[in-house]
Amino acid sequence: MSNPIQDTRQNTRMREFVLIVSFAVIVILGPFWLPVIGGYEALATKIVIWCIFALGFDILLGFTGYLSFGHAAFFGISAYVTGVMLRDVSGEILIAMPAAFAASLIAAVFIGFITLRRTGIYFAILTLAFAQMLHAAALSSILQKWTGGDNGLTMDTKPSLLGLEMQGLTVFYFSSIFLIIMFVIARQIRRSSFGLMLRAIKENPMRMEYTGVNVQAYKLSAFVISAMYAGLAGSLMVIYEPYVATKFLNWTTSGEVVIMSVMGGVNTLIGPMIGATFMLYFENVVQGVIGEQWKLVLGLIFVLVVIFLPGGFMDGFNRIRRLFGTKADPRRHNVPDKPQRASDIYDRKNTAGDYAD
Amino acid sequence: MDVNAIFLQVVTGLQSGALYALVALGLSLIFGTLGVVNFAHGALYAIAAYAAVVISTNVGSFLLAIVVVPPILFLVGIVLERGLIRYFYDRPHTDQILVTFGLALVIEETLKWIFGANNVPFALPEWGQGQTIFYSAIDKIPPVPIFQEAPQIWMPFIDGFIAYPTWRLLLVVVSLVTVLGLFALLQFTRFGLVVRAGMRDPQMLRFLGINITQRFAIVFGIGAMIAGIAGVFGGPITQVAPTVAMELLVPSFLVVVIGGMGSMPGALIAAVLLGLCLSFSAEVSWLQQIIIYLVAVVVLLVRPRGLLGKKGVAE
Amino acid sequence: MDAKPLLEVRGVSKSFGGLKALNDVNLSIAEGTTHAIIGPNGAGKSTLLNCLIGLLHVDSGSVTFDGKPLKGVKPYEIIQRGIARVFQTPQIFPGMSLMQNVAIAALARQDGKFKVNPHITLDAGHPAMEQAEYNLQRVGLADFRYGDAEHLSRGDKRRLELAICLAAEAKLLLLDEPTAGMSRHDTNRTIDLLKEIAETGITKVVIEHDMHVVFSLAKRISVLAQGAIIAEGAPEEVRGNPKVREAYLGGSHE
Repeated sequence: MSNPIQDTRQNTRMREFVLIVSFAVIVILGPFWLPVIGGYEALATKIVIWCIFALGFDILLGFTGYLSFGHAAFFGISAYVTGVMLRDVSGEILIAMPAAFAASLIAAVFIGFITLRRTGIYFAILTLAFAQMLHAAALSSILQKWTGGDNGLTMDTKPSLLGLEMQGLTVFYFSSIFLIIMFVIARQIRRSSFGLMLRAIKENPMRMEYTGVNVQAYKLSAFVISAMYAGLAGSLMVIYEPYVATKFLNWTTSGEVVIMSVMGGVNTLIGPMIGATFMLYFENVVQGVIGEQWKLVLGLIFVLVVIFLPGGFMDGFNRIRRLFGTKADPRRHNVPDKPQRASDIYDRKNTAGDYAD
Repeated sequence: MDVNAIFLQVVTGLQSGALYALVALGLSLIFGTLGVVNFAHGALYAIAAYAAVVISTNVGSFLLAIVVVPPILFLVGIVLERGLIRYFYDRPHTDQILVTFGLALVIEETLKWIFGANNVPFALPEWGQGQTIFYSAIDKIPPVPIFQEAPQIWMPFIDGFIAYPTWRLLLVVVSLVTVLGLFALLQFTRFGLVVRAGMRDPQMLRFLGINITQRFAIVFGIGAMIAGIAGVFGGPITQVAPTVAMELLVPSFLVVVIGGMGSMPGALIAAVLLGLCLSFSAEVSWLQQIIIYLVAVVVLLVRPRGLLGKKGVAE
Repeated sequence: MDAKPLLEVRGVSKSFGGLKALNDVNLSIAEGTTHAIIGPNGAGKSTLLNCLIGLLHVDSGSVTFDGKPLKGVKPYEIIQRGIARVFQTPQIFPGMSLMQNVAIAALARQDGKFKVNPHITLDAGHPAMEQAEYNLQRVGLADFRYGDAEHLSRGDKRRLELAICLAAEAKLLLLDEPTAGMSRHDTNRTIDLLKEIAETGITKVVIEHDMHVVFSLAKRISVLAQGAIIAEGAPEEVRGNPKVREAYLGGSHE
């Protein structure tokens, strides 16, 4: 006699496994399919790095509903610490990366603790203020000898992993492995009870409070987790290209991850990664075709998405699927501070399935 | 520290505060009335600055720019409101941030496309160049033509005389006039009455059958126009480049938030406060660079609704 | 009735500026009863509720729940101790399924106020899901278990909210105008459901305006007017109390 619960479990685990493997394959084969559409190998690495950044950002924005305009802070701190470690201490990334990780962790706990005391627009501005403060600090005369000030941080060191020189495709595969792992983690968070709590906070924080949940603690966890992703991306960026630009800490970087996530579709994990791919493709490939106005076109697309397709590209795919008969609900808002209906990339079938969805 | 140094720092503070005040005032007006967070406000300033520089260099008259640019921005504001913003009243604040942020990006890139990424030089008109002299006694002014012919303002408590760029003082005066003009509009006209009532209790107004949304376009237009005034007079000071949009937006937003979202007097006080902080910290350059953010963070944590903000507004 | 009071309010006063919202309020809620708090608008009922739930700090006096004082305890901590609250407008998670809604409460009960356990997948066999199923059955919403909470009628949202409270295994249920804005039909259904729940021994404090609801459910009524308790007792006693008539200026709507 079959156990329905066990069967469902098997099914969902199977589905999950297929998803992860498909994702891994697409990522690893990046350097091969990207040039087919006009890209190039090095671009694949950049895309992978930004995908990591966007993935983590979705955990804060898509799951928990907090729009941060200051995530460049963690990207940048990690990048600078990695840079300083590589330049002044050792070219061994097994030393540089954990140091950067620790630095952005500390920053995340500190900044998160302070900024999460507010919500909505205040939260957004507070995060922006912190990031800009760090940006100004990096440019300042005091820190210039470490950060290189306006010119950024340059180094002669070639980063290496236990003797293996980090360049070209090696960096790509190194970053890809991280991306796949981080994706698995993000998926697991989504499917877990912890993830459900985060998403419930977005739906109705007051109800959460009155159900005995320490909302602040969950919010801070989501914030720190997303900052860790950003930090990892920042670190990898410096390994990919041993140079730290001041703009890594600037609001423009924060703005970029916001744009990618929203354009791709928040709360879907895949969406922000699609957004990252799209945006980087635009910047590096489409620019070659239409020239300097690529950013203008991208901006227009972003505005159009925000107005007409709040659920991003993922929502667009769903709507197309709807036209062909499958059940998928369109999204009304990008990021709610009023309760809204969450949309998933999977159909919300009226039968037992993956409960976390 | 001697009196002169302090006086100079105060005036400098007022001047930087004045620019933030204008931009912040428009932001605050729009947020207080329409409830919209307008991330594109800095871009409106940029449009005005570019328009002003184009008019004043091509047509040769800065005065023309002063007369023409603010109304242009008023129209731009109305078009934006009717064409885009009004569809976002019912959408969450974060959606508003996103669409106006996108709009700012598009405007910035368009300006870059038309004018290039570099700074467009914006020369001061002849009548605005030079220095103004503050003096404590008429005989303290050196008998040099530049000083003797310059505008002179009596300031009894300073020591001797102080020369200060005229244009920057003009900016302070213009800001003051604009603020007073806005105040008069809101206090003494029927339109202003409706707007103020709408700021306090929009539902009640709707209940009374007063159509506040028609007036929204005008309010947005006014907000844009104030940014326009700021752009015309501030352009020569802040430089005219596409990046100026966001460069000005971030501190202006902090000013609004420190003063209290939706409180215009709050925005003014905060602007002056920040301007003074900036100028008094000029000697410690690293502090000056981060002081705005530091003050914002401290205020927001200690008094979350800002100095004069209404409780429960977007907390 | 000698049951140990589950909730004890002693000498609670609360002022806002010059306004004294609560003036030396005393309440003793016995375990297992349904105790109604009624009073005209502005009497201080919401303020009292907020003090009980830890949202407001009392100026003087004490609130003791299950023998332990609630002074200075964070709201979520208070909830964890066994108090649940129902709001005037049903507060649920609109974008999630009914199962998920109740599962969240079950998780809060099982895992406590905060637990980072992302490695535990929330799937069919998870105990929280069983709890969710069970409680949805209890309130009669099991048929809609996978539907979106958003689409429920107000009455059904109230049921869902009650299911959430039940899953939280609360000892004390604070009901803030549970039938506000409901049709007669929904109101009666809610009363029936609350009666059923009462049979489990759960203690209920109900703030209500609708006298029909109050008299159907309450074993004991306290009348709050202008921040003070002016009458207390069994429904019949309170009904006939002239002070209560006076406070309402014209009486109840039955």
